[in-house]
Amino acid sequence: MSRPPIDLLPGTVDVLILRTLAWEPMHGYGVSRHIRQRTDGVLTIESAALYQALHRLERRKWIRAEWGLSENNRRAKYYALTTEGRRQLRAEAATWRSYVEAVFKVLEPA
Amino acid sequence: MRPRFLRLPRRSSRRIRADLEEELRFYFDMRTRELVDGGIPEAEARREAIREFGDLEFTTRYCLAEDAMSNRDTHRADRLAELRQDVVHTWRTLRRAPAFTAVALVTLALGIGATTAIFSAVNGLLLRDLPYRDADAVVRIWGARFDAPDRAGQISVADFLDLRARQRSFTTLGAFAFGGGTYVGPDEAVPLPGLRVEPQVMQALGIRPYLGRVFTLDDVSAANPVIILAYGTWQRLLAGDSGIIGRTVNVSGQARTVVGVLPPAFFFPSASETEIYTPLDLAALQSDPVRARRFRRLGAVGRLRDEATVEGAQVELVGIMRQLEREMPETNTNMSVLARSARDAVVGDVRPPLLVLFGASVLVLLIACANVAGMLLSRAVGRRQEIAVRAALGAGRGRLVRQMLTESLVLACCGAVGGILVAIWGSRALGTAARGVLPVAGLVRVDATVLVSALLVTFACGLAFGLVPAMSMSRELQAALRGGSTGTTAAAGGHRLRTALVTGQLALSVVLLVGAGLLTRSLLRLQGTDLGYDLDSAFTFEITLAGDRYRTVASHDQFFDALYEGIRALPGVVAAGGSGNLPLRGGSSASFAIEGQPRPEERLPEVGYQPVSDEWFAAMRIPLRRGRSFTRADHDSAPGVVILSEGLARTYWPGGDPIGARVRLGPDSTAPWGTVVGVVGDVRTGVDGEARPTAYVSARQDHWGGAAVVVRTTGSPGALLAAVRHVVRGLDPALPIAAAGTLRHAQAQRLADRRLPMQLLSAFALLALALASVGVYGVMAFSVAARSREIGVRMALGARPASVFRMVLRQGIAAGTIGAAIGLAGAIALGRMMAGLLYGVGPVDLPTMVVSVAVLLLVALGASLVPARRAVRVDPLTAMRAD
Repeated sequence: MSRPPIDLLPGTVDVLILRTLAWEPMHGYGVSRHIRQRTDGVLTIESAALYQALHRLERRKWIRAEWGLSENNRRAKYYALTTEGRRQLRAEAATWRSYVEAVFKVLEPA
Repeated sequence: MRPRFLRLPRRSSRRIRADLEEELRFYFDMRTRELVDGGIPEAEARREAIREFGDLEFTTRYCLAEDAMSNRDTHRADRLAELRQDVVHTWRTLRRAPAFTAVALVTLALGIGATTAIFSAVNGLLLRDLPYRDADAVVRIWGARFDAPDRAGQISVADFLDLRARQRSFTTLGAFAFGGGTYVGPDEAVPLPGLRVEPQVMQALGIRPYLGRVFTLDDVSAANPVIILAYGTWQRLLAGDSGIIGRTVNVSGQARTVVGVLPPAFFFPSASETEIYTPLDLAALQSDPVRARRFRRLGAVGRLRDEATVEGAQVELVGIMRQLEREMPETNTNMSVLARSARDAVVGDVRPPLLVLFGASVLVLLIACANVAGMLLSRAVGRRQEIAVRAALGAGRGRLVRQMLTESLVLACCGAVGGILVAIWGSRALGTAARGVLPVAGLVRVDATVLVSALLVTFACGLAFGLVPAMSMSRELQAALRGGSTGTTAAAGGHRLRTALVTGQLALSVVLLVGAGLLTRSLLRLQGTDLGYDLDSAFTFEITLAGDRYRTVASHDQFFDALYEGIRALPGVVAAGGSGNLPLRGGSSASFAIEGQPRPEERLPEVGYQPVSDEWFAAMRIPLRRGRSFTRADHDSAPGVVILSEGLARTYWPGGDPIGARVRLGPDSTAPWGTVVGVVGDVRTGVDGEARPTAYVSARQDHWGGAAVVVRTTGSPGALLAAVRHVVRGLDPALPIAAAGTLRHAQAQRLADRRLPMQLLSAFALLALALASVGVYGVMAFSVAARSREIGVRMALGARPASVFRMVLRQGIAAGTIGAAIGLAGAIALGRMMAGLLYGVGPVDLPTMVVSVAVLLLVALGASLVPARRAVRVDPLTAMRAD
């Protein structure tokens, strides 16, 4: 938590969620914690945006939900990537990668 | 743990909200704990968690909306996928059992087809709108008598005019009289049944002509005679020439200007077909006040006022006739009228047989459904394993029931396709067969209404015969899941259900058998009655004189003498005679007075009245009991002569001799007396075949300008047509002959309206019997298969094959007996319903019932034979080793 958090570009939340769920099915809190930990707090997603995205992605059938038991034995809603979601993730990741590479080419000319 | 990702069930909106709240609560609890673990006090941690979350209210709304949408999508997609899966599965199952599928489909096609075909008749004749503007307001009026208020007759001109002047029920009231003509075309002459109508009649019917106009009051007295043609006549005779309006056609020797063509769908509200309409001038018929009051020849059509009803109009008109009776007792005693809605006038007679037939077809459909239900039921038992496997693989009970219903609906729909083909064919056949009986038979066809109801019926059937096995399966599944025995009790339940279904089928078959039997016996009675004349080896045709050549009565005598002479000269012909009417058409009547037996005029009896030619009795083979027949000497200027029927003579001269007595026929009390010169055998007239007391006069003394001719031959009567036509053409090429054929055929046609329901009901009964026998076979075969172990044990314990055989047969007979008992109760109810259609048989007819039950038991026995033989062949060892 050394650097101040930066604002997210639109569409980032969706792809981050998809990527996170590609590891394993997770509940909403798990997703939020995972993103926070992986980005060392650089990218903080407002939980409101996270939950909206989860339900939106579920409607698009990129992820699906099922009630399960959490680590501390509580009923929690788990989200998992669908086949379609996995395909979507691949497409978006590729887009992001080329975007970032393009930006880096300008920032750090070889 | 790793959660399973199966489909979430469809959630209610309350459930969605609760789920969302629980999900968010979980987040806040976890986040709060995380913050507490980081050293923040609990209350503050919770506040912080909520604060850092963001816009909670918006998020809640957003998520709820998204969830509702995905919930809907998922549900729809799941259902579609399931349905596709079910249909595919059904398709495979059905193809795997082609025999089962074929029997089920044929059964359904016949059931649905029969019902739909009959419904097309019900729809066309009883439900569809009549081709009149505001048809419910159109009323048909007949003459009647107070002592026989339902017997439709005719009204006199003067009575009609009084009715029209005094009534308040109708806005328009018009009279019509029968008056056809002969169309004389370029190369043919065609007799055309027609009506003379007042312009008010067409107004009352609210006719919008297809071409030209309808009659106006000016047409009635106009010097230029006019005519209106029915659409079919215009098409047939004038090739649908649209320039016909204003041109003339030759009808009965008179040039008439065509002013209109009626619409294709139009038909007149009377029992007979009408091809031409000419104006009727009542004023001209009024010139003779005695005839105007006494001669009854009019029918009437009226349009009710807005607030008036048919019943009210009937009461009012009868009231007026009572007034007339008081005012003019000498002419109007006992004279009444009868008013009925146009629909009753058109189809009143066919309603009872049609409803009986419709009921019968529904019974056939029920039997068909019961059959398929039974077949599905035994198959369901046979598929117990498959269902158990599917249940074990996680298919829910609802899902399995839905799958079985899909199966029955797919079956029903395939059956419906065949059924609709059967219906189209059947309805066409029905229309053709009914054409001779009903002028409106063309209305019988399969249209959108009929198709829609066929589809509804199909769905109802699919549900009906699908639910039975589905419920039984569901019960069985429950039992199996509770860990009960492997379905023997459930199978027994299914068997009981099947037995009940088969018993019901047999009962319904008995109902139909008895109904068909009653109608068959009625028809046989009608056909078998001694009519008093000989139907065999006789040829008949009708001819009407038309044209300028026949202005004088002498010309009539001349023509008919030449006609009969010419026909008698044909090879094989024994006698040829003519009459105003064939006896089986009913006929006219006249009052009958005897000289020396004075009676008040209104008390004079009405007797049948028939002008006949000299050889009529010989041609008809009506025996001459006393005196002589008419001869050439009984001409127009000779003293009047009368021949009486035996029944008439017996009534008024009991034990005595009427020859030489003087009688007067008809209402004109100034007419000269006629002398009785002979007595002939009784003749049964009309369809119902009552032997009406009849007085015959010579056709030379009462000229009708036409005759129904009967030719007695030693050869084949059917071969006479060409020769007779040749004779007529030699006399007058412009005269057509009509209704030509054998006398037997003519009588058969008169019975067509009786025969049609009889044949249809018999067909339904046979169909029902066939279906029921399939049902019995199915249930017995299944029972034998299910009990093969028990049978094996019995045989191992020493039961003889014969006793096993008898055991199975007994079971079939038992179902038959119970079914017959229930069916007889139903048959008695049906008989009561059909009482009006019966002739010479009571509604509860013991011989019919005995035969029906015997037939049924034989069928039940026959259907049990094969399964019984199979039972005998059961090998005890194999049977007991199974399972």
